[in-house]
Amino acid sequence: MTQSTHDQERKSPELSKEKSSILCLAVLGEGNTLPTYWIRYDQQIVNRKELEEALVKVLVDSTYQKALLASNQERLSWLEKWIEQGYLFWAEKQFQPGVTDNLSNTIEEALGLTGISSTVEVASGAIYLIGQEELKAWSVQGLEGIKEHAAYSLYHPLVESFHVYDLRKAPPEADCLLAFPSVSLNAPRKPQVIPLALDDEQLMDLSRNRLLALSLDEMKVVRSHYKNKQHRQLRKERGMPEDPTDVELEIIAQTWSEHCKHKIFNAKINYVERKAKGEKPAYHQSINSLYKTYIKGATKKLRPVRQDLLSVFEDNSGIVKWDDETGVCFKVETHNSPSALEPYGGALTGILGVNRDILGTGLGARPIFNTDVFCFASPAKEQPQRPKLLPAETIPRGVRKGVEDGGNKSGIPTVNGAVHFHDGYRAKPLVFCGTGGVLPLKLHGIDHVLKHTVVNDRILMVGGRVGKDGIHGATFSSESLHEGSPVTAVQIGDPFTQKRVIDFVMAAQEKGLISGLTDNGAGGLSSSVGEMATITNGATIDLDKVPLKYPGLDDWEIVISESQERMTLSSSRVDELMELASQYQVEVSDIGHFHDGGSFEVMRGGECVASLALEFLHGGLPPLELEATWHPTDLATRFTGKTAAANPETMLLELLAHENISSREKIVRQYDHEVQGKSVIKQFMGAAQQAPCDAAVILPVLTSRTGLVVSNGLTPQWSDLDPHLMAIMAVDEAIRNGVCVGADPRSFSLLDNFCWPDPVLSERNQDGDYKLGQLVRACQGLYEACLAFTAPLISGKDSMKNDFDDGVLRLSIPPTLLVSAIARVEDIGDCISSELKQADNFIYILVAGEQSLTGSHWQELYGGGGDPKLPALDLEAAPALYGRLHQAIKKGLVTTAHDLSEGGLAVALAEMVIGSACGADIELDALARRENRDDRDFLLFAEGPGRILVEIRKDEKEQFEQLFAKDHVLLGRVTAESRFKASLCGEELVDTTTENLTGAWRKGLPFN
Amino acid sequence: MKGKDKALVLMGDGINCEFETAHALRLAGFNPELIHVSRLIEDPSVLDHCSFLVLPGGFSFGDEIESGKVLAIKLQERVRQRLEKFIESGRLVLGICNGFQALVQMGLLPESTKDGKNTVSLLSNESHHFINTWVELTVPASSRTSSNGFFEGLDHFQLPIRHGEGRLGVPEHLRKDILTHSALVYNSDVNGSFEKIAALKNSRGNVLGMMPHPEAFVRWTHHPAWTSMKLDNPELFRKEKEGKLPEEEAPQGLRILINARKMTEVL
Repeated sequence: MTQSTHDQERKSPELSKEKSSILCLAVLGEGNTLPTYWIRYDQQIVNRKELEEALVKVLVDSTYQKALLASNQERLSWLEKWIEQGYLFWAEKQFQPGVTDNLSNTIEEALGLTGISSTVEVASGAIYLIGQEELKAWSVQGLEGIKEHAAYSLYHPLVESFHVYDLRKAPPEADCLLAFPSVSLNAPRKPQVIPLALDDEQLMDLSRNRLLALSLDEMKVVRSHYKNKQHRQLRKERGMPEDPTDVELEIIAQTWSEHCKHKIFNAKINYVERKAKGEKPAYHQSINSLYKTYIKGATKKLRPVRQDLLSVFEDNSGIVKWDDETGVCFKVETHNSPSALEPYGGALTGILGVNRDILGTGLGARPIFNTDVFCFASPAKEQPQRPKLLPAETIPRGVRKGVEDGGNKSGIPTVNGAVHFHDGYRAKPLVFCGTGGVLPLKLHGIDHVLKHTVVNDRILMVGGRVGKDGIHGATFSSESLHEGSPVTAVQIGDPFTQKRVIDFVMAAQEKGLISGLTDNGAGGLSSSVGEMATITNGATIDLDKVPLKYPGLDDWEIVISESQERMTLSSSRVDELMELASQYQVEVSDIGHFHDGGSFEVMRGGECVASLALEFLHGGLPPLELEATWHPTDLATRFTGKTAAANPETMLLELLAHENISSREKIVRQYDHEVQGKSVIKQFMGAAQQAPCDAAVILPVLTSRTGLVVSNGLTPQWSDLDPHLMAIMAVDEAIRNGVCVGADPRSFSLLDNFCWPDPVLSERNQDGDYKLGQLVRACQGLYEACLAFTAPLISGKDSMKNDFDDGVLRLSIPPTLLVSAIARVEDIGDCISSELKQADNFIYILVAGEQSLTGSHWQELYGGGGDPKLPALDLEAAPALYGRLHQAIKKGLVTTAHDLSEGGLAVALAEMVIGSACGADIELDALARRENRDDRDFLLFAEGPGRILVEIRKDEKEQFEQLFAKDHVLLGRVTAESRFKASLCGEELVDTTTENLTGAWRKGLPFN
Repeated sequence: MKGKDKALVLMGDGINCEFETAHALRLAGFNPELIHVSRLIEDPSVLDHCSFLVLPGGFSFGDEIESGKVLAIKLQERVRQRLEKFIESGRLVLGICNGFQALVQMGLLPESTKDGKNTVSLLSNESHHFINTWVELTVPASSRTSSNGFFEGLDHFQLPIRHGEGRLGVPEHLRKDILTHSALVYNSDVNGSFEKIAALKNSRGNVLGMMPHPEAFVRWTHHPAWTSMKLDNPELFRKEKEGKLPEEEAPQGLRILINARKMTEVL
């Protein structure tokens, strides 16, 4: 068992402070940010000269770089040069102790390759040389100005240390310089026994002080469980104390967290509807679990017509049958709270986490695509400032970078996504990370869709080591952010280690060495082993066998730590796995075994520190009982009857530059969206690579021609008007987007991700019952739409406490539902893209719904206006219309399709022109007659579901019109000229060049 | 030689384009085999049984320090000598993107160095951003005089680039010489690369490193403008669908690999 290094104290203790020395190396190359490294080594073991040579070899590219090398004490001698060169300040930064430092881990491995002993430790950081030029560029003066500028732009205060010095003043004492950031923890405490003979108030204090995030009712259930005489007897026999140990209490809290158990979606809800706010209830309904009634309920109804559903709501992701050999799985997670604290790390660990969900599906699936959907408060607008809220502009920047590194470094293409801005997301940014994967249905005669863990299989922990990272992450995401939010909730991911883990798990899967697996996400080992234990009805782990990053962790911390890049495997072929792990350079530890004793035990030093009945752990949580109320929004308050004064062309250009509409190219180009060679329809298509496509198409199996369509729908702007409509529109948008690139509308499988403001009534949350009412309405809308489109939900996730509350300011997000979709296109050659193709072709609009200016982006920009009624989707007509469109696409009649969404018809057509060498010339008269409306703003900019613009080959007009009897309106033709023209009753509304449209559309993204 | 059609594709340690690269090689007529970096190091003699070594794209060692650097250090100790012999025998080495960066870091491009040190570097793009886009490429006239090797029959074409560090940096004293090693140039300045160089080859022409990804253009439906191309040339797409596309009509990414196969056939 070469890989199972049980000496948890591999690192630090060997390098005791007295014997170790610290070298500092700064790299002079291009620019005046110097990559800087601190190297701690034992002088008695490592020869300094050899070490220096190795460091230069590894860290310096002699073709354009030079090394500055000195002991940490001596490096003040570097200052003279910098003064000579005219710099005014210098600053240095490094990671705080215990923060994942991927660069240093790689350097340590590289030093090992050059023959330097593994007792050398590296920490990375940077030195900044600051002169007049920088001060001017940052528009700051003096030390304090630099410090202020540096926070969140040069370093992140939660994870990095940053010092700045004035070169014109006396140099700092050498002792004050940044030295080696070592973790120093007190000796771990023995497990504590927590007496539960407490009154209600004390119980709640216990829950709060230990960050258990359990309610009084839940704490009472725990108390009575431990009071139970039979249980006490049983514990006595096992040599356990009568009261719970802290390890047990923490495991219960993790398992029962909102994050893991979805208490709100499983609650009993007393739902009432009123005609208006304050009126008497007009309708009552008692709902026994939203999840069972509407989410699983929809899928259950659709099962008979969808034979391809292989595993839904059971595993880490939903699995559908792709072909006779292959299954496709898909999962979307959110990482909102971590991203609010440290956007880069939050998004990075989010994407790596959902990758592991796929890896841990069935007996192991290979991730083949990522999706990313972000909801932010616009950094271009003034946003509330509070000490616990990061500056608004740092959040999108960090999140985007996190997804870039997470996807790119893992070799998983980011193929689809969305960015939506709304001031409400100042409460918390929403970061939806999705991953799809493929898995063999059968291998070595074994069904790979299921887990096959059996009694006596070993429990193996694979991947990263355990540190204090993310302790209380699961419970933390179930709470609103407050002054006491723990810094340990911040984590940085390590995509490189995880890539090795993925390669290893895939190789082990192919060799048939794994009997079951799951990822270590929220709740760490307590969740992963605790859940897998239900397969055999028991598991025991030994904490002595769990490798740690550094010593000093309490037992309960080891059990619930969320240190990243870890999988939990079950296997009976441990030796073979270990050998494979050594080739793939992945750390594998044998930490216990599965049994059928009905309990989950944790051992430490030969003693049992936790013994929990699985029945209680997984079945003991009483359902919540909640109140929900809903009343329709009074549209009269939204409808002022005004029309906007601006001319339509100006409005079109301003809408194109709207932050919710403008080009996402800056983001997309920084994601590797083509790795794995599966790409068919990319985010941007056409000769100029400028045409924004509605959905992605990839080839899950390279040797086949069947395409997988990936799309999403997100329409939170309708939530406060009507959450029922919002959910229907989200489903419609996801499906319509997919159909527009060629998806078969009967083949959709959906994921639901609800992100809601706290829907539980409390003193600080006076309209909690209304928010729950909105959730009920949204679930009902989702249910109806799924049935109408015969599109089952196959997996989902909810995040229910997306509020900010520091005692002074309370902010809440708008209720948000992301619908993510996958579907099939039988032959990729039938796919189409969104840019207009050939002059003289016809442009039609297809209609299966009503649109409105109320809630539109036009209304947001120009105020007033609006309509006395909301948009609507015809749930019977829409599926039929999309079916006919699919037939027309397959027959080759349709050369282009694009859905109408934000900005309405004018924006949709402008987008079709932007990516094309051709232009468009349309007349709105026929549409005006059909809508029975002649106001131009309504015709150009109203928004609503069920509408698609199509380009039809000029010689196929008749065949097309035959296929679409009633639900189409001819708008005009494609032109050879690069212009967009629109008129109504002979009046010219828009006449502008493609260049103007493109210019407006490309400037609107408010972050880089 | 034996095993002419055998191509080794390196995998592991953060390399991530190995599957599509193997797939592309198979389409080009090779018999590709994936080999983990650790296994190649354990037993470098596997090189003796193949004609083509491909270092695919990816983020080996997380792209930390400098792209390709740690992979180069890892290969240097145990594989270098064997690889030199492999190259001397006229067999082919192709480094794509991160693989190119590793070949440069090993000092195998533009020409093999005795001390194994690199003479040029692939640095951060001028924009300091990772970039994924399709670019126009040209095989430089100087390179077209004799046999074109990997680029036989290809003058201008498009391929995607997907890198954060693709800007070729060349020290003053090598700037003249490097032009003779330029195998491919970008038509426009995409990353600040010296003389817009996108690929380097050794003088013998059997070691090639390129930033653009040939394996990402092996079917016409890879191209961002394919939905328009199909309207202009339905015949081409019909042939591809039916699997009857002649080699000379293959997408240019695939043709680079077909050229490689033809080069190995005469070994």
